[in-house]
Amino acid sequence: MSRLFLGVTLLIVAVLIVPTYLEACPACKTLDDPIGKGFNFSILFMMAMPFVVFTVISGTVFWHYRRASKEPMD
Amino acid sequence: METQNNIDVRERPPLSNARLAILVLLGAETMLFSGLIGAFLVFRVGNVTWPPPSHIGIELPRVVTGINTALLLISGYTMFQGWRAIQKDNVQQLRNWLLITGALGLLFLGIQGSEWVQLIRNGLTLQSGVYGGIFYVLIGCHAVHVMSAVIWLFIVLGMAMAGRFSAERYTSVDTCTIYWIFVVALWPILYVLVYLS
Repeated sequence: MSRLFLGVTLLIVAVLIVPTYLEACPACKTLDDPIGKGFNFSILFMMAMPFVVFTVISGTVFWHYRRASKEPMD
Repeated sequence: METQNNIDVRERPPLSNARLAILVLLGAETMLFSGLIGAFLVFRVGNVTWPPPSHIGIELPRVVTGINTALLLISGYTMFQGWRAIQKDNVQQLRNWLLITGALGLLFLGIQGSEWVQLIRNGLTLQSGVYGGIFYVLIGCHAVHVMSAVIWLFIVLGMAMAGRFSAERYTSVDTCTIYWIFVVALWPILYVLVYLS
């Protein structure tokens, strides 16, 4: 619980001290047109997906093994 | 494998190899669709007017596709019921649910195909600019996945007819169900992005 609290606190502090909001594409940062926004959205979305896939696969494996360890032995 | 009192005891892994394989396959599929959705987002967010001015007159069939979406979601439910039936060792119910699911999948593809014919007649083709290109690639890629899922499902149905499944042995049903649910769950995301945004 304390670890979770510490993690959340660090995350909030990190967000607060970031001087400006982050852009996914440095080249598009100076562009204030829709194409730049489009690339930003797209890059952020595609950047997130490997983490989602990895989390789902590893989470499923973990869940199956955890459930098996709780089952009574024959 | 261990030997206890001259009887071979095979330890079954908590997660079967088949399930792990299908998870990895779906991971790859997710990355494929992420790339396509990413490309769509570039064009969609990058264009102030959508569809682009060159395609102003072309309307995507939102209502019919909405009904089609409902059909596909129902097929996800019927597939899940088939999976539950074989867990209870009810092969007859499995066959029925698989048949209904396959019919719904074919219906989805049929409606999708007729929509495409209409859109091509209205002038929206793969070569008619970025709007047509991204529409047919994204929706077509999903349709190919539904088609392969339907083929897979009918193979599983054939195996069910041949009496190859029981409550202890149903790996093919298991993997086919996971794939089907993935294809079904993906569609509403594409529908909202492509048809409603």
